[in-house]
Amino acid sequence: MSFTLPRLIPAAFLLGGLLAGCATEQGQIETSAPAGPAISATPQPGTGGVIPGTGALIPPPVVTPPLSQKYPHTIQDSGAGPAVLSLYRKAQDARAAGHPDQAEEQLERARRIEPRNPFIWQALAGTKLDLKQYDQAEEFANRSNDLARGNPWIENGNWRLIATARQQRGDSGGAVQAQNRADDIARLLSPE
Amino acid sequence: MPGGRCGDRYNKPLMARSSQKSRKSRFAFLRSPLLRWTLIGLVIAFSVALGLFTLYLVRLDGVVREKFAGVRWVLPAQVYAAPLEIYPGARLGLPGLRHELDRLGYRAGEELTGPGTYIAAKDSLRVDTRAFAFWDGAQAEQRVEVRGDDKGVVAMRVMGSDQSLDLLRFDPMLIGSIYPSHGGEDRVLVKLAEVPPLLPQTLILVEDHNFYEHGGVSLRGILRATFANLRAGHTVQGASTLTQQLIKNLFLTNERTAKRKITEASMAILLERHVSKDEILEAYLNEAALGQDGPRAVHGFGLASQYYFNKPLNELQPHEIAMLVAIVKGPSFYNPRRNPARVIERRNLVLKMMADAHIITPDEYQESVNRPLGVTPGGGGGAARYPAFVDLVRRQLAGLYQEQDLTSEGLRIFTTLDPHVQEVLENRIQADVPELEKSRRMAEGSLQGAGVVTSVEGGEVLAVVGGRDARYAGFNRAIDTRRPIGSLSKPFTYLTALEDGGRYNLQTPLDDAPVDLKLPTGQVWSPKNYDHQLHGQVPLYMALAKSYNLATVHLGLDVGLENVRKTFAQAGFDDVPQVPSIFLGAIDMSPLDVAQIYSTLAASGYRTPLLAIRSVLTKEGQPLNRYPFKLQRTLPEGPVYLTTWAMHKVIELGTAHWATSVLPPGEFYAGKTGTTEDLRDSWFAGFGSDRVAVVWVGRDDNKPTGFEGATGALRVWGKLMRDLNARGIDMLPPPSVEEASIDPASGLRADPGCPEAIQVPYLRGAAPQQYAPCANASKSTPLDWLKSIFK
Repeated sequence: MSFTLPRLIPAAFLLGGLLAGCATEQGQIETSAPAGPAISATPQPGTGGVIPGTGALIPPPVVTPPLSQKYPHTIQDSGAGPAVLSLYRKAQDARAAGHPDQAEEQLERARRIEPRNPFIWQALAGTKLDLKQYDQAEEFANRSNDLARGNPWIENGNWRLIATARQQRGDSGGAVQAQNRADDIARLLSPE
Repeated sequence: MPGGRCGDRYNKPLMARSSQKSRKSRFAFLRSPLLRWTLIGLVIAFSVALGLFTLYLVRLDGVVREKFAGVRWVLPAQVYAAPLEIYPGARLGLPGLRHELDRLGYRAGEELTGPGTYIAAKDSLRVDTRAFAFWDGAQAEQRVEVRGDDKGVVAMRVMGSDQSLDLLRFDPMLIGSIYPSHGGEDRVLVKLAEVPPLLPQTLILVEDHNFYEHGGVSLRGILRATFANLRAGHTVQGASTLTQQLIKNLFLTNERTAKRKITEASMAILLERHVSKDEILEAYLNEAALGQDGPRAVHGFGLASQYYFNKPLNELQPHEIAMLVAIVKGPSFYNPRRNPARVIERRNLVLKMMADAHIITPDEYQESVNRPLGVTPGGGGGAARYPAFVDLVRRQLAGLYQEQDLTSEGLRIFTTLDPHVQEVLENRIQADVPELEKSRRMAEGSLQGAGVVTSVEGGEVLAVVGGRDARYAGFNRAIDTRRPIGSLSKPFTYLTALEDGGRYNLQTPLDDAPVDLKLPTGQVWSPKNYDHQLHGQVPLYMALAKSYNLATVHLGLDVGLENVRKTFAQAGFDDVPQVPSIFLGAIDMSPLDVAQIYSTLAASGYRTPLLAIRSVLTKEGQPLNRYPFKLQRTLPEGPVYLTTWAMHKVIELGTAHWATSVLPPGEFYAGKTGTTEDLRDSWFAGFGSDRVAVVWVGRDDNKPTGFEGATGALRVWGKLMRDLNARGIDMLPPPSVEEASIDPASGLRADPGCPEAIQVPYLRGAAPQQYAPCANASKSTPLDWLKSIFK
């Protein structure tokens, strides 16, 4: 048996990839955060395929919820910088003092510094609720969900927020659906 | 003398008699009725004139009181850029910070002498910030030490304490005013108490030495001026007091008639009876004409300070104060930018007077007299610096406020303009457009360019350039040039198709074959590919990456014209004609319009109407309105992701491949080239994760330029994104998308046996189930495949 180095390198990489449980191949786009939602927005069809060379169907993979411990629970442990945390605190204070527009202003400043931080978007959605802009509250919470990359802690908060927004604008059915989503996620997060 | 006896009481009867006689003889002429009536007439006329003059004065007094009390300064709204905010971790190195501070008019020195000064060292910068009233409250002056390096800010500390600082916000740059479109007065109102005392002292010294002594008109001044003018043989000195000058500026014309002078003097005297000297002085400081900037008249020392020195009045140094006072005499004749030598001469004369009057020390005099004028280059100085952006602000404000409120109420408009981004965009267009022009041997100045940069999240317009001369406040090509967008339209046709995951995915083969379309007009439309080749069956993403026209038209016809128009509307543009040529970009749009629809793609399908205004304060600094951005999901996230993926391929292996030579490796950007018929317009629009940028290059006369999107606008765009340090896109698929390994030849699933396999995103559940022939040829298990490698 003779090995050549060029043949060994891909083999070694592949082996590593297999061991890690996710094959990385040429042309794949790297990802930097845990992928996939805690709970998908729509029922997902099976993503099985045909076994190469046999034509037999591959059974759909078992989808397991990601480990919630991997996700930051709060903005404080999300890696946000001190400037953002400081503005976030100011916004919380302003909100607590009944000045949602001031809170929004501080959060806007924070968002300009970290435009893709889902905690900031979630807080912005909260101020929209305070400002009685219920449609906007839902849109901002949805945007936060997009940016949360499956973080169930954020998604849980956003769905509760969406439920409130829908309730406030008279969409009781939609509110119940949103609350159910929040409850489903909450069950995943509970230790039992 | 006979009268010498008049005092003699004994001669009284005689005197009386004699007096009567004399009176009789003296008034003998009154016996003449003509004369008598003439005299009476004269007396009556005089009395009437006196009465009329008194009435006139009374009326004038009323006018003066009413007018002065009712003086409402014409205060155009002041427009500010977004404030610079720095924090530990900010990607603004100390050299960049120094540059930004210089542009804000901060003065570098050896010590902090007050607000608006800084000390730069190799790895630190100490700065005394200016106080400023922001929407969220007044921010006090602060002395801060910033530590960092060439790459960014590392730490910040409040000087004189151990207190670290998380965030530091600087006062925003004043970038323009909203004055009436036909031209008019512009001013920044100042209060006497806030003005450096040296300014009024110098003004009085030079313009009206006896200001505090006279009552509106200075007889001494008139005599002195008359004497000086007689001696010189022509007018060398004016005799008008500051009060008279103010009256003239406020209420009268410039005509040089006796009537006007009398009115002016009368009103000056009357005014002094009603208002204090300080009120007159303050009004003068705000009214004096100090320059002309195109249609804009620069009034008052507050604006003049910004206009000439790009800093507030209270930071002016003696030589700068001397210059402003020097040019009061005639801001056109003494124009510091056009006639600097003349102005220096007069400024030095003023400085000499200041030194002689001991309001500056001999040392200050020596230092000041040797200094250059220090006027900022360019016509606008701090204000009117970004006409294209301010034009956009003006248009957005027009829908929110009355024109009169904008041009006279002194509103303070806080905008989204990022001076750094604006500078980078200007530099690129100013450098690259002439270079492109030269490369095609075009007539100098014939090629034009425009650009817009927005933020991905929040839809904030960060920079606008309306032409290669960014200071020229004329035709704003970024907003007013509406040209066909060519292939910039294609992503919206592809997106429309990709929304139908059951029928289309990125690998779907499209037919790049001839097409003849009979139009409602009876004409037949037979589009061609740019390279006049036919490419057969091409994967959908490749057809977009290579910008194949025929494949796109087939796709558009298949998904339906109305659906594509709907996608445009959802992205933020609904003025799309109902013709199939829209698939190839027969849609007239401005660079700003394009920025709007590409922003929706960049923000994963959330449409945010692009905003240039953040908030508005009253002239007193009280919050009036905020304009937070509005968000609406109008396009589905998954298909937008797939389209973005294909638009990244445009750069990676398609028509915009050149960009990879300038953009940082390993970062993902998405974009699209656009070229119109006969190479008239060259477009590029694209984005990373934080910036959307659109560049147009073309000619005002709409003649061919010889540039495709890739050879023209892309060259500007690529370097622009590089210079902006634009962040790449996070290509993590959303939950509704899954990735599959695909064999490009067949478009079917690949396995490790397929050497050319690529990873392709699909809407979840839409990836091909069938394996490719190359996969069939491989071993059925990974272990077998591994064995084959080690064989």
